[in-house]
Amino acid sequence: MAWSLSSRASQLGPPAAWSLVRGVLPFLACVAVAILAQVILKPFLITTLGWDFAAKMIVDVGINIVLAVSLTLVNGFTGQFSIGHAAFMAVGGYTAAAIVYYGSYRIAGNPDLAGGVLSSMLVGREAPWFTPHDLLFLVAMLAGGVVAALCGYLVGLPSLRLKGDYLAIVTLGFGEIVRVLIQSQTGDVLYDPEEIAQTPAWKLAGSLGGSLGFSGLPFYTSFFWVYLLVLVTLLLAWRIKNSSYGRALISIREDEIASEAMGVDTTRFKIRAFVLSAFLAGCAGALFAHTVGVQLNAAELGFVKSFDIIIMVVLGGLGSISGAVIAAIILTILPEALRGVAEYRMVAYAVALIVMMLVRPKGLLGVHEVWERAAWDWLLGASKRKGAGR
Amino acid sequence: MDSRLGPAPPRAHWPPPRAHEQARGYYPPFTVLEKFLQTLMDGLAVGSLYALIALGYTMVYGILKFINFAHSDIFVLGAWISYATALFAGYNDLDPAAAGIQAAPFPVWVLYGLGGATFVALVVAGIPKLQGRPLSESARALLLGVTWAWACAGMALAARVLQGAGWSIVGGGAILICSMLTCGLVGFTLERVAYKPLRNAPRLNVLITAIGISLLLQNLGQLEWMFGTRPQGMPSLLPDAVLAEIGGSRPSPDADWTVQPVRIRLLDVIAAGTAIVLMLALDRLVFHTKIGRAMRAVSFSERNAALMGIPVDRVISFTFVLGSMLAAAAGFLYAQKYTKLGQTADTVWVLLGLKAFVAAVVGGIGNIRGAMLGGILIGLLEFFGVAYLIPQLRDVYVFGVLILVLLVRPGGILGSTAVEKV
Amino acid sequence: MTLKASAPILEVRNVSKTFGGLKAVTDFALELHKGDLQGLIGPNGAGKTTCFNLLTGVYRPDAGVGERIVLDGQSLVGLRPSRIAAQGLSRTFQNIRLFGELSVLDNVKLACHVRVTYSMLGGVLRTAGCLGQEAAITERAMELLRLFDLHDRAAEQGRHLPYGAQRRLEIARALATSPKVLLLDEPAAGMNPQEKVELAKLIRRVRDEFDVTILLIEHDMGLVMDICERITVLDYGRTIASGTPAHVQADPRVIQAYLGAVDDEPAPAAGGTHA
Repeated sequence: MAWSLSSRASQLGPPAAWSLVRGVLPFLACVAVAILAQVILKPFLITTLGWDFAAKMIVDVGINIVLAVSLTLVNGFTGQFSIGHAAFMAVGGYTAAAIVYYGSYRIAGNPDLAGGVLSSMLVGREAPWFTPHDLLFLVAMLAGGVVAALCGYLVGLPSLRLKGDYLAIVTLGFGEIVRVLIQSQTGDVLYDPEEIAQTPAWKLAGSLGGSLGFSGLPFYTSFFWVYLLVLVTLLLAWRIKNSSYGRALISIREDEIASEAMGVDTTRFKIRAFVLSAFLAGCAGALFAHTVGVQLNAAELGFVKSFDIIIMVVLGGLGSISGAVIAAIILTILPEALRGVAEYRMVAYAVALIVMMLVRPKGLLGVHEVWERAAWDWLLGASKRKGAGR
Repeated sequence: MDSRLGPAPPRAHWPPPRAHEQARGYYPPFTVLEKFLQTLMDGLAVGSLYALIALGYTMVYGILKFINFAHSDIFVLGAWISYATALFAGYNDLDPAAAGIQAAPFPVWVLYGLGGATFVALVVAGIPKLQGRPLSESARALLLGVTWAWACAGMALAARVLQGAGWSIVGGGAILICSMLTCGLVGFTLERVAYKPLRNAPRLNVLITAIGISLLLQNLGQLEWMFGTRPQGMPSLLPDAVLAEIGGSRPSPDADWTVQPVRIRLLDVIAAGTAIVLMLALDRLVFHTKIGRAMRAVSFSERNAALMGIPVDRVISFTFVLGSMLAAAAGFLYAQKYTKLGQTADTVWVLLGLKAFVAAVVGGIGNIRGAMLGGILIGLLEFFGVAYLIPQLRDVYVFGVLILVLLVRPGGILGSTAVEKV
Repeated sequence: MTLKASAPILEVRNVSKTFGGLKAVTDFALELHKGDLQGLIGPNGAGKTTCFNLLTGVYRPDAGVGERIVLDGQSLVGLRPSRIAAQGLSRTFQNIRLFGELSVLDNVKLACHVRVTYSMLGGVLRTAGCLGQEAAITERAMELLRLFDLHDRAAEQGRHLPYGAQRRLEIARALATSPKVLLLDEPAAGMNPQEKVELAKLIRRVRDEFDVTILLIEHDMGLVMDICERITVLDYGRTIASGTPAHVQADPRVIQAYLGAVDDEPAPAAGGTHA
């Protein structure tokens, strides 16, 4: 026991101030980049080039990146097979929607978009940089994430007893339960300011539109919010992957028994992965709910949507963050690109998926990141280089 | 088979309302006992259909250890194939204008004709060349597949002839068999083309492939030259009579019922009966025949079975064919009971298949008797939940029970969990 | 039995395990003193690996028979395996259980996790503690790899290593948890004679340099008799002999267990097969 981690760490560690800069600065950079995307890229795309559709796609791509990367935490790193991810999205989306919609009524008397420059996809709209409504949206998004994270905790609990396919079924069942409950057990959306002002909050929380969907939401989702969340998610996932906690998660995927024997509290880590992943999915759901052209409806957030996200994760390569990003980009654009062949596009999509699994079972990048050489061995024909392994 | 409380019911209401028309609340007044019995019957009828589908899931899981997500699409396909074949055979008892039925968009005869033509071509051109030589495994599979397609076409034609001759019930049976054969062929092809190359791949990949196939089947089915995107009404192929009306009351034998009786419908009896006969046959097959023993051996250990000289590939193909055929039968029967066919990607129908999977898990996946038990349980649960609790939550009951059962008994009711050897 | 004066570092008493009707281990007892290098041998199926699983918490010993597993004053009964590892009892696996997709270096670094004190949030914010500990872990892991002659393959995936190297990596990984007691489950299985000789040296060196106490299961009698100071022999879940190598070799019950009684079928003495 001569070796002690903490004493050696204090010798090797950088000065606290320097690490503070290195640790926190990237997060600030995320904010800066997101602002640039909003104030430069958005007007350029929409006004200069007139590519409204591209702008819309970029928002969709961003939301899907967050969903795919967050699912990577559970399916890719931890190896727990969750196929109910869309449910977290639904929970987060509805929570945020209720807060923004009824909150706007309570503050402004109407649900109209009242955010600042950063919170809109509209062009040429006069607005201050920052309004209280931006804060409301941010709070709603975080609240959506937190409620989803609570659900993630609940779903994570069975993972203590269940493995593999059984867990997958439970997550699927959970997703369907959430969908049915939102669809059938929530009342109509209220429109009358008077009525909303008099209705208690708990009752408002149940007025989410039911099977008709939550209509009348303001469109807050913008390049800024989407890419802020994307960058923060990526930074989060990357730093976790490269910390002791990331190794612990991956070791659970590789061999749960050995992982436990090496001192990793597997139950705790599985739940953590679920909670974090659900939080991010909840935030993504909040963005999804407030996207231009989206009518929030639980019917669209069923197992089909969950499958979509899983396909992204698996195609990218289980455990690869950059793989999930690339797959999210490709798979968001592909169905649109295939519109030329109209009714055959989903058939082509399915065939592409099957063929991919047959020829490249580990996904695009395997467990590697896109800049690692090993990720491309299969393309460069060098996979036999190592010989020994199977 | 008359009711206890009086003479036979009047024929004024003939044909009686079909099950889906009375699905909500069955005409208001109902006594406690009669409501219970009616729910029990419906639950059993639908439960036995769930059990039929669950068997396919459970057999595939038992042998290959993966969830064949495409199985629920085979079930939907079974319903659609029987619809298309029925129209081909000339069954169309529903008023097209009223029911909004389109002409059969699916050219059955084209597919079957193709199958037949290939068969003929193969016989003419291929057999002489192959004479005296042992067939390779893939050639054998191809030959079998083509012969099989020929059999499907034969059954479809037989149904047409029988319908023309006025033997419509026998023709309905022919359509059932035709649908089972076709889905069996589809299952066989899918396994050979998509699953077999992944035999040793990680289970996740197989699962994704299964999802891919599920998507493929759903979207192929929606193409205009296949089944299209509009829901269709299934012609009734089996006689739907009320065998008995038990209980209930009305002022006079000719008056309307004031309290609903329990109606035992021929269709329910046929559905449950067919399901039970098929399940018993399967049980016998698995536990009392050579191929069944081989299936159990492969399920126990694929590698060891292969070492013992069991043709593993053939056994696995056989399992897929069998499971798909049972799912097709369930699709046929379900379409007979609830006449509205949703498009192939209709979530309600796909969800039916998933619920059957839940049944398999609840009963103990990999366990054939467990799947039967689970199917009946889920059916009963669903109908009792709808009848006595909040009707809109029918899916919640099913998935809720799934989660509960898995948490209390992770292996399912009749299943056992394998302990990983350290 | 000669008892040493100091308190044992690992004390096991009355540990039994029944699977259904099968008594896999009956009244297992063991005492390890600091710096001991003990062997645990027995014919196939004697319950050796089950004993390891009982000690490391993979299985729970049958309750209510006065079961007692005490490591350095701390009772381990009922703790989950990760807690036991944190207390200082680490192991290797008979059927190698490396983290195949992780690099060799990361395999060892992961095992240091049990000593990590920075939080997950610290990892996300990259605090000074996090960076320092990560650096210390990397340094330590490289040291261990060097000791086990794996340092030039540090970047390779664990599953690409040759068999003997995988076995060594398992030991390195177990050592990285900074254990007080190290349990080695057939470390020499599948190794060639040359590798076995080196392994024997290595095990002694580990014991001396890392100040750990070692208990090992091994089928290679040459290796066991060579390096172990004391040996416990199991048969059908029962301890049938315990003592110095010479003492155990001479014990008639041991000979009977390995070679069979007159009316038993003879069993091969020491193969590399699994228990």
